[in-house]
Amino acid sequence: MLTLLEQLDKGTLWQSPGGIHPPQLKTLSNQSTIARLPLAHRFVVPVPLVGEQAVLTVAVGDQVLKGQMLTEGTGFTYLPVHAPTSGRVVAIEQHATNHPSSLPTLSCVIEADGQNAWCELIPHSLEQLSKNQILDKIKNAGIAGMGGAAFPTHVKLNPASEINLVIINGVECEPYISSDDRLMRDYSDEILKGIAVIHHLLNPQRIIIAIEDNKPEAAKAMQDAVQRSTLPAGIIRVTVIPTKYPSGGEKQLIQIITGKEVPSGHIPAQLGIVVHNVGTAYAIQEAVYQGKPLIERVVTLTGEQIGQPGNYWLPIGTTINDALQAVSFNPSAAQKVIVGGPMMGYALADLDVPILKGTNCLLAPSAHEIAPDVDEKACIRCGECAVACPALLLPQQLFWHAKAEEYDKAASFNLKDCIECGCCSYVCPSDIPLVEYYRVAKSALKIEAEEKRQAEQAKVRFEARIQRLEDEKNAREAKAKEAAAKRQSNMKSTDKDAVAAAMARIAAKKAQATSSTVSPEAPQTTVDPKKAAVNAAIERAKAKKAAKANTVSRANELDTSSAEVSVDDKQAKIAAAVARAKAKKAAQANTESTVQTPNPAETEVAGTEPTADAVDDKKARVAAAVAKAKAKKLAQAGQTDDSAVEAEPTTDAVDDKKARVAAAVAKAKAKKLAQVGQTDNTAVEAEPTTDAVDDKKARVAAAVAKAKAKKLAQVGQTDNTAVEAEPTTDAVDDKKARIAAAVAKAKAKKMVQASQIDIGEAASQPTVSVESTADIAPDAALTVTADSADLSPEQIKKAKVAAAVAKAKAKQLAKRAEQEEQ
Amino acid sequence: MAFKIASSPHVSTSLHTNTVMKRVAFCLIPGIAVQSYYFGFGTLVQILLAVSVAYLAEAAVMKLRNKNIKATLSDNSALVTACLLAVAIPSLAPWWLIVIGTLFAIVIVKQLYGGLGNNVFNPAMAAYVLLLISFPVQMTSWVAPQTIAMNHASLLTSVQTIFEINQSFAAEYFRLGIDGIAMATPLDTLKTDLSMGLTTTESLAKPIFSGLAAEGWFGVNLAYLVGGLVMLKLKVIRWHISVAIIASLFVCASFGFLVSPDTFVSPLMHLFSGGTMLAAFFIATDPVTAATSPRGRLIFGAMIGVLIYLIRTFGGYPDAVAFAVLLANMCAPFIDYYVRPRSYGHRTGK
Amino acid sequence: MTSIFIAVAVLSILALVFGVILGFASKKFKVEGNPIIDQVEALLPQTQCGQCGYPGCRPYAEAIANGDHINKCPPGGTATMEKIAELMGVEQEPLNAEAQSSVKKVAYIREDECIGCTKCIQACPVDAIIGAGKLMHTVIANDCTGCDLCVEPCPVDCIDMIPVETTLQNWDWKLNTIPVKVIHSEQEEPAC
Repeated sequence: MLTLLEQLDKGTLWQSPGGIHPPQLKTLSNQSTIARLPLAHRFVVPVPLVGEQAVLTVAVGDQVLKGQMLTEGTGFTYLPVHAPTSGRVVAIEQHATNHPSSLPTLSCVIEADGQNAWCELIPHSLEQLSKNQILDKIKNAGIAGMGGAAFPTHVKLNPASEINLVIINGVECEPYISSDDRLMRDYSDEILKGIAVIHHLLNPQRIIIAIEDNKPEAAKAMQDAVQRSTLPAGIIRVTVIPTKYPSGGEKQLIQIITGKEVPSGHIPAQLGIVVHNVGTAYAIQEAVYQGKPLIERVVTLTGEQIGQPGNYWLPIGTTINDALQAVSFNPSAAQKVIVGGPMMGYALADLDVPILKGTNCLLAPSAHEIAPDVDEKACIRCGECAVACPALLLPQQLFWHAKAEEYDKAASFNLKDCIECGCCSYVCPSDIPLVEYYRVAKSALKIEAEEKRQAEQAKVRFEARIQRLEDEKNAREAKAKEAAAKRQSNMKSTDKDAVAAAMARIAAKKAQATSSTVSPEAPQTTVDPKKAAVNAAIERAKAKKAAKANTVSRANELDTSSAEVSVDDKQAKIAAAVARAKAKKAAQANTESTVQTPNPAETEVAGTEPTADAVDDKKARVAAAVAKAKAKKLAQAGQTDDSAVEAEPTTDAVDDKKARVAAAVAKAKAKKLAQVGQTDNTAVEAEPTTDAVDDKKARVAAAVAKAKAKKLAQVGQTDNTAVEAEPTTDAVDDKKARIAAAVAKAKAKKMVQASQIDIGEAASQPTVSVESTADIAPDAALTVTADSADLSPEQIKKAKVAAAVAKAKAKQLAKRAEQEEQ
Repeated sequence: MAFKIASSPHVSTSLHTNTVMKRVAFCLIPGIAVQSYYFGFGTLVQILLAVSVAYLAEAAVMKLRNKNIKATLSDNSALVTACLLAVAIPSLAPWWLIVIGTLFAIVIVKQLYGGLGNNVFNPAMAAYVLLLISFPVQMTSWVAPQTIAMNHASLLTSVQTIFEINQSFAAEYFRLGIDGIAMATPLDTLKTDLSMGLTTTESLAKPIFSGLAAEGWFGVNLAYLVGGLVMLKLKVIRWHISVAIIASLFVCASFGFLVSPDTFVSPLMHLFSGGTMLAAFFIATDPVTAATSPRGRLIFGAMIGVLIYLIRTFGGYPDAVAFAVLLANMCAPFIDYYVRPRSYGHRTGK
Repeated sequence: MTSIFIAVAVLSILALVFGVILGFASKKFKVEGNPIIDQVEALLPQTQCGQCGYPGCRPYAEAIANGDHINKCPPGGTATMEKIAELMGVEQEPLNAEAQSSVKKVAYIREDECIGCTKCIQACPVDAIIGAGKLMHTVIANDCTGCDLCVEPCPVDCIDMIPVETTLQNWDWKLNTIPVKVIHSEQEEPAC
């Protein structure tokens, strides 16, 4: 029993099962040496990894040099992309790609300048570099397997396990293709240099160059090159194998050379074997010794519809159209253009797609070379496919299940081991496109597996979320308990006076609430715009067809005054117009009319202009949102009424509840509605006797500000600060000011600034009463809307101008506030 | 210019289903010729009748199923089915026998199961069994081989007999041997004789047997064997099933013959009488109803061989090819399920 | 008469013996948990959409194990229902929700319209929406199960369910669906 190495040295060959002997037709293209075509004007370089593992290093309009890197990225399997020639990047766009699907991929379109000027290349010799440097060089040169699969080469050159045998694949078993054949004949010494690099990196015990016996010249050339090479004697040999398709398949070649089978689902490296294409060896040599990235490759242009068939050096990114035109492509009716060979290649739907690193052949056959497709007939289970299958599968069973879409059953017949070589379809007497069935089945299985994985992930995420919610709940409860315990201990330490005081405060509050005519309105007015916006949005989404009559009647029920009804009518009319136009302008008008609704309160109010502007600004924003969201006016009108209802005199109980809600919300995330609640709270705190409550509010506000400094939260604060303008709460004011400053620092958003206006104002006019500040909002509305109910564009314009002014002022004030703070 | 998209591979062999079927039909020719020589022109008339009925029936079904009639008829599978059934029944059987049989084979056994490729049973054999069970008299009325027959049927008289035009030329008339006794088939004779207590040697002395094999049938089987070998050469069929049938039948028969030559006939008798060769090369090799993997086919063939022997020797019917094939057809999916070849990169078949 | 007694006695003893064996086996080979629930859950699509009326896929799996209808999972579609029917050994039932299109969809937030209300974040069963209050939200498309639950709560209706885009990775190889570019040969004649 000879050892494997002895067998290899003897050139023993094993039998690979199945296989076919299609007519070779290689002489069409392998008669002349590899030529060059005139440089194309436009190149399309796909950059599919951009957005995942890589970023572009060029922008539209940039000048690039030949060989310049177009992407930069990370990741083990990431490969850079290089410019195939010098020129200008004219577009970075989705462009159809060289793939059976012709789906668009992000691509760099480069217009050649004709200079073909190289970027700086750094040649090296093997001794100058460490192994890692060589690998980096190979990676940076963007070298992928040139046999068709285009797997990153540096990964294969850096295996986890020890490599005993390297097979250099010069088999090229597909009919028509002769690019490797010509490369071996014309560049055998360069290939050997590349093999030397591979030898240096992997240090295998043997290197076998496998060549089919239909390429005697190539075998001879390689044999001579081996004689000339500097590699240690006895390590490398050329083995000629019998011609049979698909001997060039990696697994089949390993079986022929070594008699071993690559276990299903594994890679050859686990057997200590690595297979590299001769083209890859050539590219490695170019990259290491010349520093040239992989920007061109040998492509066989063949088929009877091509005037000058042969092998050509084509820059990667040359469009197939350009390449075919340059060799006098003469398309026939129903012309097929096949990328790759006739056995495994795919027909293109679109010729404006680029040559890629794995594109080894373009085949433009005439109708009699490749017969037009015939209809699929019934499978007679003749079993010829099973005889031809090199993977020893049962294609007829696979077909049976794939056709019935029983993909799991197809998988049980080892569908995944199918190498899609096409032998089964080739021999099928019923013209069944078996490979197509398998591909569909495989992709379905892949998608199914992906869905399964996603479902698994979704489950994990779902459970994590449940856990998180549970944890949050527990934490909240624990906190509440702790707080309660603290309170209790405090109670013990302080005397009963505290309780009494609290009681007194509550009583006072109650009295205030009932006696004051202003305080109920204050919340009403401040609440309205925000609540209206929120509710309006909700209503918009939920009840798109809110009945006009309904809302009006609801309005009637709520606001009994006849004047209100007339206003509503007007609003209805405006609403119709707005809905139709959907313009931002109209939307603004719409909000203003919304503001208009709480009319009764406004009669008692007198306010100042600047603050009104600030409020207007807010309005404008709300309006914009409204317009975008296809708002319906009447719905909003209804809402306004709702908010008006809510604005009705508030009782203490409600206030308490709100305070609690506000606290919880502030802790959680400071959500919009919660903030509305807060607004109410602040209105409540306008009462002179509720210092303690104010403290609480201040804390809440602080938490909110710290949490996220959200826009509306800040709006809420605005009101807070307005409230604190009261002379009796100086200490609180300080706190507020600080919070506001923090907020301003944090995000400095428009509304933040708006809020600071109030602060500024609070600082500058300490004597402004609660009532007046609180009522500013409705007043602002009044200033715009009082004179005429139907809003003219000029008024809107005014409002906008005012808003802008307010913004500017707000910025200034914010600055001032900050300065003061400092 | 419109680009056509088709899946790879873009090339394929020229050996298509219709060619395969045509070649099968061509390879039947030597057998048919010899059969006609021994059993008269009736065989040819039956084939003509069967083929035309088969095509008509298939066309009608295709019409009903709204399928492409021409595409279906051109696959030539109906031709093969019709020929096989026609050579399997007695050459002077009445016309309605072959019509019923062909209709059953094409319409019920093949098309009702979904057409070519989907039928579970071999159509010709299913029809044969139907006829054998329904019309046992007509189905066993083989005429005497020409070499030993008393009356010879001309083409005209064959037609007259088949279409029952002239009652004087009933099939019985041509069954008479040179000794004036109506002859059964060799296997039938043997069976009857053995059940009557005669030894095989005594039975084989009858004129219907010539030497070790049956008169006429030996030649017919030899001709089918030749046709089968041509098919193998043309790669129309693979060798597994045929070899397995012949080998297993030979082994079983040899075993019996060695144990008791008086009660069991020789292997040669088994191999070259009845429909053995026809079954081994033309009937059991129908890929649709056979097992598909090479190993599965060996098992399938061996099963048919053993069944032929068992039914012939111990069963109630003199010949057993049809039953054996149908039984094996039933087992084919089962065999395919359990006999899976080991795929590349796998340790076992599963 | 005695033979009857013998028969009765023998049968009784047999029953006793088998009873003991069964009792022992039930202790010895006791299966923890209810594996059928896990099996059903494995078949469910894990969108956690709640369209079945249960708060997630596992509760529905438990319900199925307890005999609930198997036709309440629109995201799984008929295929899932059939698999469950096979597993549970029950009759197949037509889906009670209107048949959903089999195209997988993911949620997409029109970001300039998002008001940052966080309602969709709370609705998402798999935490696939990120964003903060008042700030725009977005969907992590890879984690989105297409359950639809975020569409309803959105106050400004800015969430769309859009079909997953076909990429080179998930292309299904159905060649005959590719539009073929037809160019008239006059235009395509090479210049030279």
